Amino acid sequence: MLTEQPVFLLAFIGLCVALVCVFVFRPGLTVTRGGKIMAFLVMFILPILCLGAGFSAKLDASKSTKFCLSCHIMEPYGKSLHVDDPMHLAAAHFQNHRVPADEACYTCHTNYAMFGGVKAKLGGLRHIYVYYLGQPPRPEDIKLYEPFNNRECLHCHAGARSFEEGVVHISDPALMASIKSNRTSCISSGCHQTVHDVATLKDQKFWNGGN
Amino acid sequence: MLSANSLERRLQLAAIVLLIGLIVEVLCLLGRGPIAFLLFSGVCVLLFLAGILLYLQVLVSASSHHAERKQDDLRL
Repeated sequence: MLTEQPVFLLAFIGLCVALVCVFVFRPGLTVTRGGKIMAFLVMFILPILCLGAGFSAKLDASKSTKFCLSCHIMEPYGKSLHVDDPMHLAAAHFQNHRVPADEACYTCHTNYAMFGGVKAKLGGLRHIYVYYLGQPPRPEDIKLYEPFNNRECLHCHAGARSFEEGVVHISDPALMASIKSNRTSCISSGCHQTVHDVATLKDQKFWNGGN
Repeated sequence: MLSANSLERRLQLAAIVLLIGLIVEVLCLLGRGPIAFLLFSGVCVLLFLAGILLYLQVLVSASSHHAERKQDDLRL
């Protein structure tokens, strides 16, 4: 099922196709001044608009959970989002819509620093290269390129009452500052260490509710 | 189908390349996987660039052709 934006975009591209066809079959139109102006619009301005709009639509589509999970190797990670255990960080976030369910992977795995989105896309291109032309690792052997930065968690949790007044978070006055400066990792410090535990999936119960 | 006039023929070629680019773009937008994304960012962008550059080359050569003809007319 197509969403509204691609339908509009497809209609726009259809119009461009029709206009470009005019110059394939009637190139003599450019003899007149009006024909020259039309040729400039159809052969230069409209293709740039089509390309820009298409690129934007593709970039948006590449943020979707479905897109990330379309690679076979990512299937266990998609499955781990349905584990019926609140201690599994990714599953708890996905099932409780703490991240948008249709952009779950991107929301946590993008980088909320300058050019973070570009870095995420370049990383994605590298994944495609490894998947199709390299030697993809087994799902359980996949590692992050660099340790998960607390900045990505704090993008949403900083300022939230559940985080700022969390019993453990405020138990030691130095801890909060340490978390916020990324000296104490949310994940690898032992507090929220179970993220995508794909190695133990066969022993887990799954929740398949929601949509 | 291609015109006998060289400028018009090149314009037709540019239009055909753009047409193929537009068709590839439609196919990529209908596809959802990473291959569609790669096809778009590789093949589609290249076709669009080639079509636009071909058209700009026609524009430049048409204006120089026009200037030459004007000079010839002045000489006569």
